[in-house]
Amino acid sequence: MPQPLDTVKGFGVTFKQIFKKPITQEYPEVKRPVYPRFRGRHRLWRFENGLEKCVGCSLCAAACPADCIRVVAAENTPDNRISAGERYARIYEINMSRCIFCGYCELACPFDAITLGNEYEISEYARDDQIYTKDMLLAPPIKRTPVADAELYDTPIPYYKEHA
Amino acid sequence: MSVPELVTVSVDGREVQVPKGTGLVETALAAGIEIPVFCYEPRLGPAIGACRMCLVEVEGMPPKPQAACTLTAQDGMVVKTALTSQLARNAQNATLEFILVNHPLDCPVCDKGGECPLQDLTFRFGPGRTRMTFPKRTFDKPIPISPTISLDRERCILCYRCTRFSESVAEDGELVAVNRGAQSMIATFEDEPYRGRFSGNVTELCPVGALLPTTYRFEARPWEIQTVPTVCGLCPVGCNVNVTTREGKVKRVLSRNHPDVDGGWICDKGRFAFGHLGARDRIVDPLRRQRRRGLQPAGWDEAVDEAERLLRAAQGRIVTALSGSETVEQAYGLAKLMRTGLGAHTAVLPEEISDAVDGFRLPLSAIAGAELIVVVGDDPVEERAPIVDLWLRAARRNGAEVVTTGVGGGAKACRQLAGEDDELGRRLRESDRPVLIWSGSGGAGGAHVAACAERLGFGSKPDSGVFYLPLTPNGRGVVEAWSAASDDEGPDPDPIGLLFVSGDEAASDPSVRSLAERADAVIATTMFQGSAVGWADLVLPGTSYLERDGTFVNLEGRLQRLRRAVVPPTPDELAWISQLAGRFGVEVSPYPSVVFGELSERIFGGLPYGEVGERAALRGREPTGELRAPAPAATPKGRGLRLVRYRPLFSGAAVERVPELAFQRPAAEVQLSPQDARRLRIKAGDEVDVRSNGTSRRLRARIDKGLVAGVARIADEHAEELQATVEVARA
Ligand code: SF4
Ligand code: SF4
Ligand code: SF4
Ligand code: SF4
Ligand code: FES
Repeated sequence: MPQPLDTVKGFGVTFKQIFKKPITQEYPEVKRPVYPRFRGRHRLWRFENGLEKCVGCSLCAAACPADCIRVVAAENTPDNRISAGERYARIYEINMSRCIFCGYCELACPFDAITLGNEYEISEYARDDQIYTKDMLLAPPIKRTPVADAELYDTPIPYYKEHA
Repeated sequence: MSVPELVTVSVDGREVQVPKGTGLVETALAAGIEIPVFCYEPRLGPAIGACRMCLVEVEGMPPKPQAACTLTAQDGMVVKTALTSQLARNAQNATLEFILVNHPLDCPVCDKGGECPLQDLTFRFGPGRTRMTFPKRTFDKPIPISPTISLDRERCILCYRCTRFSESVAEDGELVAVNRGAQSMIATFEDEPYRGRFSGNVTELCPVGALLPTTYRFEARPWEIQTVPTVCGLCPVGCNVNVTTREGKVKRVLSRNHPDVDGGWICDKGRFAFGHLGARDRIVDPLRRQRRRGLQPAGWDEAVDEAERLLRAAQGRIVTALSGSETVEQAYGLAKLMRTGLGAHTAVLPEEISDAVDGFRLPLSAIAGAELIVVVGDDPVEERAPIVDLWLRAARRNGAEVVTTGVGGGAKACRQLAGEDDELGRRLRESDRPVLIWSGSGGAGGAHVAACAERLGFGSKPDSGVFYLPLTPNGRGVVEAWSAASDDEGPDPDPIGLLFVSGDEAASDPSVRSLAERADAVIATTMFQGSAVGWADLVLPGTSYLERDGTFVNLEGRLQRLRRAVVPPTPDELAWISQLAGRFGVEVSPYPSVVFGELSERIFGGLPYGEVGERAALRGREPTGELRAPAPAATPKGRGLRLVRYRPLFSGAAVERVPELAFQRPAAEVQLSPQDARRLRIKAGDEVDVRSNGTSRRLRARIDKGLVAGVARIADEHAEELQATVEVARA
């Protein structure tokens, strides 16, 4: 049975939306802040004196469910001191295309040498570029992800609430 | 044998029946209950109860925890382990807490981490936290006690497994415990490097990361490795080993206890020589001699074409020199190509092995239970087949008598033994469990000892045995395979059109070299540049035993499986033998399993490849017909001492390429008997000149009580050009 009035009413709803401000965002021009504890690209850390915290123990590799960490250790020598103890990671690689960002590596590390950061913009054109080397992981991420203020809010305020 | 009396023991309320005298640890295991241990290791002799990890409560004994490893099962014993006894649980907790008082807990940097009994037992039995908060005792670490082993004294828990091994298995006495109380530590005698043929075994025995192989230092973690069960291919013992690989590279070699062959020990050559796989002068491309440009790398197609051309040009006048380190399948494939494809039946075989010894076959482990053992020959057993030396030591500890005879004339000694009025022969005849071991030089040794054993009545004694120690790892298998390929015979070619040299050992054999000088062309397959590059016209890259699939026959006659641990950098021998054979209308499969299937029909009684097994069984005795010993070779006469050369264990193409083993290479020494030394006024350690017409070598003298007078023994690599009789004088 035709219901012309209802049909027009329905169109009316659609029509009204055209003049409202949209709640979707124009990514990448606008970046939504992430939760402070969001798990993104990893970071390897150094002590203040410049030595690497990582000793190349491979415990992170053992914990990793995606099997995407490769550690090849070597011995520190007096002329080539990389980390504090006897051993350091000569090669440390994470294959970001396999990582599921579970954070187990961070939990496993006995030296707090690896943490997961907030950076999530890690797409590349080639798969090879997804393999992050130790130098890349030791350096701060190039792109910056906005993080919600952990002091004020535990969680970022959703955009639609701010703009309602 | 009498049936052992069974006793009933209750462990945590479970009743088990075990033979009387079984250790309590094994008894509990039979009941399905684990008693944790650190120091207990039956292969090291009687338990010493050093670590106290195995404490249990035994009813009827004094009301204090008992060390289970020192007790044996008695009838009606009631044992309570930590599972049911609070006393035992407290005791074990305290033990672990004490063990960890001074333990550095550097698991993240320790190579044992992940496969460490201390980690595992602490995790499963310990209290979980410590009450000791004072600073730990520290030592300098790590200390290299030899170029292959490092010692971390902080990690040591003083279980004394290593010193017990050194004292009562290898009997070298080089590892000792020094100081007392908390300052006790393991050290080498007089802080000298631990030089021994079996030193590497302590790294496997140590239940913590205190003794570790330097070659594995920081190389891999247990969760990053693969393990390949194979056999060692460096000497005729054929120890069962596990090869650890990571990312396609061999990282270490561990023993894989075959109780009949090696008893869980391997020598340092087998353990540390794997480094030769990545040697700098390893050949990875075929090399072809081109006019005026010398040997040039060539592609595989080109190389096979060239090999075909050279083989055709020789028109059957071909000699094949084999190394004795080929797999049975390779040797068979090559033999089929040469013998059925080209009609070339002449070969330089690695040894002359008589089937006759198979009539007195015994497993190696039987040596430990023998009563009287006679070793015939010049070569020190430990240089030729080191594990046999461990079995001999075990036999001696068990009360057997080991006699060495026939240095400088094994064949003659065999005749003498078999004679009517020889004292030693008479005792061999009377003994129930006599063993004869041939470790002499010269071919036909097998026939000599077998004939001797036959005349001494070994045939009727099932516990008697004869062992022939070959010079090459798979000499027996290679010889069998070569003869299985064809029944035809052919005349020796003269002149030689083509010499085919298979393997580095054959290439470094002086007699093969002299054949090469007479040959029109030479094809060689070697692993290393150094071996044949100077004189071959075509060099095909070879592979190592760790890179091959196939079978080996060890000195007992045991057929064992070799498994490929890592992929070689070049196609393996069987691949191109098969290709080449195809060009001559001979069918050789490139797959070892297929080749084995074919030859098993002929020589191994149709045993399927899959059933060779991980712990291979030994075939039974195979009596041969009447035995006659060949006439002994004439002993050279002349003034002075007779030179006896031996091939040291730590020599050969593989060992030379491993820098860590350089310290084990034989010293530049000449061994003299005490009588000769006295006569020549030479003291141990003196510098002496060894001369034989025209050549002279300056060596250090060593006095060896086992040597007979009139003989000077020198390692091959130091004897070099010396002739059969030498004069020795103080320098
Ligand atoms: S976050 Fe998880 S998946 Fe990613 S590297 Fe760490 S352990 Fe592996
Ligand atoms: S990041 Fe941590 S867990 Fe991973 S290898 Fe380095 S120290 Fe070990
Ligand atoms: S070094 Fe190892 S085997 Fe030797 S006593 Fe210490 S813990 Fe035991
Ligand atoms: S004794 Fe022989 S077979 Fe055993 S590990 Fe040593 S070289 Fe290899
Ligand atoms: S295992 Fe019994 S005391 Fe060490």
